[in-house]
Amino acid sequence: MSISATSHKIGEPVRRREDQRLLTGKGRFSDDVNLPNQVYAAMLRSPHPHARIRAIDSGKALAMPGVIAVFSGSDFIADGMQPIPYNQFTLHPAEMQLPNSDGTPAFTAPCYSIAIDKARYAGEIIAIVIAKTVNLAKDGAEAIEVDYEVLPAVTGTIAAADSKAPRLWDDARSNVCVDADVGAKDATAAAFARAAHVATLTTWIQRVTGVPMEPRAAVGEYDAATQRYTLHAGSGGAVRLKKDLALIFDTPVEKVRVRMDDVGGNFGTRGMIYPEFALVLWAARRVGLPVKWTCDRSEAFLSDFQGRDLAVTAELALDKEGTFLAMRGSNIGNAGGHTGSYTPLQKGVEIMSSLYRMPCANFRARAVVSNTTPTRPYRSSGRPEVMFVMERLIDIAAREFGFDRIELRRRNLLKSSELPYTNPFGMLYDSGDYHAAMDSALKLGDWAGFAGRRADTKVRGKLRGIGAANYVDTATGAPRERAEITVHPDGNVDLVLGIISNGQGHETSFAQLVHEWLGVPLDSVRLITGDTDIVSVGGGTHSGRGMRMGSVVIWNSANEIIAKGKRIAARLMECDPSVIRFADGRFAIENDGQAKSIFEIAAAAEQLKDLPDDLRGPLAAFSDESFNEASFPYGCHVCEVEIDPTLGTLEIIKYSAVDDVGRAVNPMIIHGQVHGGIVQGVGQALMEQCYYDPASGQPLTGSFMDYAMPRADNFPFFDTEISEVPCTTHPLGMRPAGEGGTTPALGVVINAVVDALAEYGVTHIEMPATPERIWRAIHGKSN
Amino acid sequence: MYDFAYLKPASLSDAANQLASPDSKLLAGGMSLIPSLKLRLNRYATLVDLGALADLKGIRREGDALVIGAMTPHAEVAASDEVLTVLPALASLAEGIGDPLVRNRGTLGGSIANADPAADYPAAVVGLGASVITNRRTITADDFFKGVFETALQPDEIITAVRFPIPKRAAYAKYRQPASRFALVGVFAVQSANGVRVAVTGAAPSVFRLAAAEAALIKRFAVAALDGITLDTEGLNSDIHASAEYRAHAVVEMTKRAVAAALK
Amino acid sequence: MPTVAMTVNGKSVAGNVEGRTLLVQFLREHLQLTGTHVGCDTSQCGCCTIHLNGKGVKSCAVLALACEGADVVTIEGLATGGTADVKLHPMQEAFREHHGLQCGFCTPGMIMSAVDMVKRKGHDLDEKAIRKQLEGNICRCTGYHNIVLAVQAGAAAMKGN
Repeated sequence: MSISATSHKIGEPVRRREDQRLLTGKGRFSDDVNLPNQVYAAMLRSPHPHARIRAIDSGKALAMPGVIAVFSGSDFIADGMQPIPYNQFTLHPAEMQLPNSDGTPAFTAPCYSIAIDKARYAGEIIAIVIAKTVNLAKDGAEAIEVDYEVLPAVTGTIAAADSKAPRLWDDARSNVCVDADVGAKDATAAAFARAAHVATLTTWIQRVTGVPMEPRAAVGEYDAATQRYTLHAGSGGAVRLKKDLALIFDTPVEKVRVRMDDVGGNFGTRGMIYPEFALVLWAARRVGLPVKWTCDRSEAFLSDFQGRDLAVTAELALDKEGTFLAMRGSNIGNAGGHTGSYTPLQKGVEIMSSLYRMPCANFRARAVVSNTTPTRPYRSSGRPEVMFVMERLIDIAAREFGFDRIELRRRNLLKSSELPYTNPFGMLYDSGDYHAAMDSALKLGDWAGFAGRRADTKVRGKLRGIGAANYVDTATGAPRERAEITVHPDGNVDLVLGIISNGQGHETSFAQLVHEWLGVPLDSVRLITGDTDIVSVGGGTHSGRGMRMGSVVIWNSANEIIAKGKRIAARLMECDPSVIRFADGRFAIENDGQAKSIFEIAAAAEQLKDLPDDLRGPLAAFSDESFNEASFPYGCHVCEVEIDPTLGTLEIIKYSAVDDVGRAVNPMIIHGQVHGGIVQGVGQALMEQCYYDPASGQPLTGSFMDYAMPRADNFPFFDTEISEVPCTTHPLGMRPAGEGGTTPALGVVINAVVDALAEYGVTHIEMPATPERIWRAIHGKSN
Repeated sequence: MYDFAYLKPASLSDAANQLASPDSKLLAGGMSLIPSLKLRLNRYATLVDLGALADLKGIRREGDALVIGAMTPHAEVAASDEVLTVLPALASLAEGIGDPLVRNRGTLGGSIANADPAADYPAAVVGLGASVITNRRTITADDFFKGVFETALQPDEIITAVRFPIPKRAAYAKYRQPASRFALVGVFAVQSANGVRVAVTGAAPSVFRLAAAEAALIKRFAVAALDGITLDTEGLNSDIHASAEYRAHAVVEMTKRAVAAALK
Repeated sequence: MPTVAMTVNGKSVAGNVEGRTLLVQFLREHLQLTGTHVGCDTSQCGCCTIHLNGKGVKSCAVLALACEGADVVTIEGLATGGTADVKLHPMQEAFREHHGLQCGFCTPGMIMSAVDMVKRKGHDLDEKAIRKQLEGNICRCTGYHNIVLAVQAGAAAMKGN
């Protein structure tokens, strides 16, 4: 990567265009937005995980200097404000749905942006204070007196599922909101009955949080004359946010505008609308001034959506040769304090069997609510959890029943010739070469040379372990996306898209596509995404949909521009359109010196008077498509660790990854995505956890003092390799690349740790595998 | 943060006078104080910034001791030739506090006055049997730390310097808490003409001396002398980062590492 | 309200602030230098790193009033040239070349911290030293891999400057 790309075409490691402003402090993040006369909001949040709100007295707060207003849930309801319109499940046609076994609908309860009757998690918003400065708003929030009736709380996932647990909603039968049974129950039972071996695992994929480095911030403005709301706030997508806000305000969508520029990370955490976004707009309307709110990090630990939190019991049945016969088990996902999203549960259980040949499977899938911060999809929603389970089960089976870990994988890994393959949950894997990915990763990680390295480590009194993990990802996401391309005579090309870059480098990679397909300079392309007055359609950035969908609508639009351009060029050069060839940004007559640049054609389109209607005006085209198929990125990671048994401390010695992206647009960016993804996965495996005190329900990880963030000195350099087996369901052969780094990382790290500890008879270790946990495992102490 | 009056006295006596007014608090490097104010954990009417008092900065040799000014930043201690030569254990401790940016601003005096149970400097002060010099008196290390964020300082007393006797050998071994990077357990082991001292930070509400290890090491200053030593979990910290049981084990292990490093 | 005057990126500036105004607030809110970011409230993330009298510090843990007469350099003061012909500092250029940033939020602090690191530790930095010295800066996007490469290259490139 030391040699700068001279070509800007697809496949080149083009240096990023957005970097110039980000490197020089000229980025424009949400908290950088300031409007004239703006006032500031502070949120009063519940200190209790579960409490009924008897009364709120804001008298003292209102008397404080600089405090303009205090609003609470009753004001919100009195103003006719509506609940947040959450989609609890992904309704994408390629996803498996999770109907309740007893035929009842999944339990959902309205979630308002501010607590109405009860606080259901510590950190839920009770009141909003508007004041002249942030500090005065915070002073005001402290002066509000709330009379709480503190209720018993439940935070644990399995505990919350208990019928005797404190109940979050009085009108629900229990905290269990979803209770589905998927797969083939009888066939699976029969397969288990004839199995030679059964491997089992009971585990909890712990609660973590996404921690985008930019804390959330929002500025809301309301124009009374036009009755229009404008929100300035970073998010995963602008259009969806606009629609959600219109529903909350019960106003037509054209009355809401959402604006954003640079967004400092997402990882799913920023994927859905937040209560504060509606509250700043509502407050702006109420006080008649723009209202700004900036989240403190300690506030983010309470109020940013959290992720993972899945309790699993799983079994894998094998015949005596090691062929997988079936798997079964139970998954319980913890939705937190509101019924906002069951998506991670859904997206996990449908690929429990990963990319192995699995004749049948049967799982019970439940979602519970609990007195914890609500959860949402977090980088690779649902999949790292189940890949962890599958890859652990394979290692457990190998060790317990005497198989080689790799041979056991190889025997059951689907071959290219078996694809497309329908897994036991009905998911259709399109294409790929899973064996090649695993072989490459084993080579990259020098699996063959491990025994020698382990021996060297032993001499130094340490323990060395190696692990491998395959994975498959299900990328779906909001199906509809739209691109609009306009070629301007002045040499600029506008690309309007409903996909927001949260750091993925879209200004570069999408420009590479336009550059390649329209032959225009890379720097001529202006990507416009963060203004719903310009962007009308688009699903935002999640589920590996950015490049996957963006590329197709850009491709379609570019082709239409070329087709139009040929007809205009034919007019200009007085020939038949069929003899015009388009290449490198020029429309040329075949076997003739005459040619016109695309910008000359754009000028002609705007100037020529005698063009047919469909060619007159700006040289522009749009493509608006729905993508109803899922994509299945896959790959294999290998990890090697060294453990100091005296304290259980661990060092990652080597981490190798092979990830198939079908076709790489910008390999530099893809490698970067993999690096970051690995660290988020390893962070979960080794150090991260949102802790809740089991007795009080209080969150215990409220800042970076207690939530362990991976830092530079926790890692070595990674060996990452991109595989490009074209995806057969994507017109351009592409697969997503943003989540693969994380998906297998949990499993591969724990497999390596357990391998290192095998001589002590350790068969499994829970995440995060902290030094203390490792030390306890070595000494046979309870964990 | 609650608002406060900010004062930056030009002399130690002015500082002492200003500190005497109610709800006043000294500001040294601010690396712990300011975050605690931001989180609204504390409230003061006045902050008295010692930043202008050049006399409180600096490192000098005084006979068989190093005297380090209270306002000397960690980075200066870590990089000081004098410290690296005669008391490298202290330089290495300073080099491991917080992170480089914190070390550029955080000070010795601020650290020990704050007496965070997981701070590094208290281990050195107690381990080396240092003397804390204030504008009024000299306090011995064993009398200085009183509990969680609690010291022997009077409300209007100002640390001016710390006098560290130069030992025969010493080393600090730190086990970092993974999130904050403070000491989950830190052990400062010292052998000097007056005997052996082992001070432990991070493991309990306040820095403490490990008597069993001292007794063993005074007979023979060697790692093997520590074999069989265990620590009662009673009174040790237990939190999401480590149980008391693990901390007890880590104290012994880090003591071995400190002794091994001191012998190098 | 008290006033404070200091030099920021070579220019004399002054403003009225409260006792509790942090240096980072003064920079962002009074001077509109929004390149310095706030990523936490416990002085861990390093997004707010600037140079104060030549040393890297976290501007979220320094009071504005404590900086009376000080010389401050922020990310905006690192590159040279005008708006039309900006010449990136070698460390900025190295981050661009090595893809040492994704969302860009931690980047200004990372770069200011990296330049401080070179001042303290010299130009020939090995991987381990860089990783250790980056302890005060958190990034959630890059996995640090390319940041470490960028710092190494930037440190070497600063030799010529």
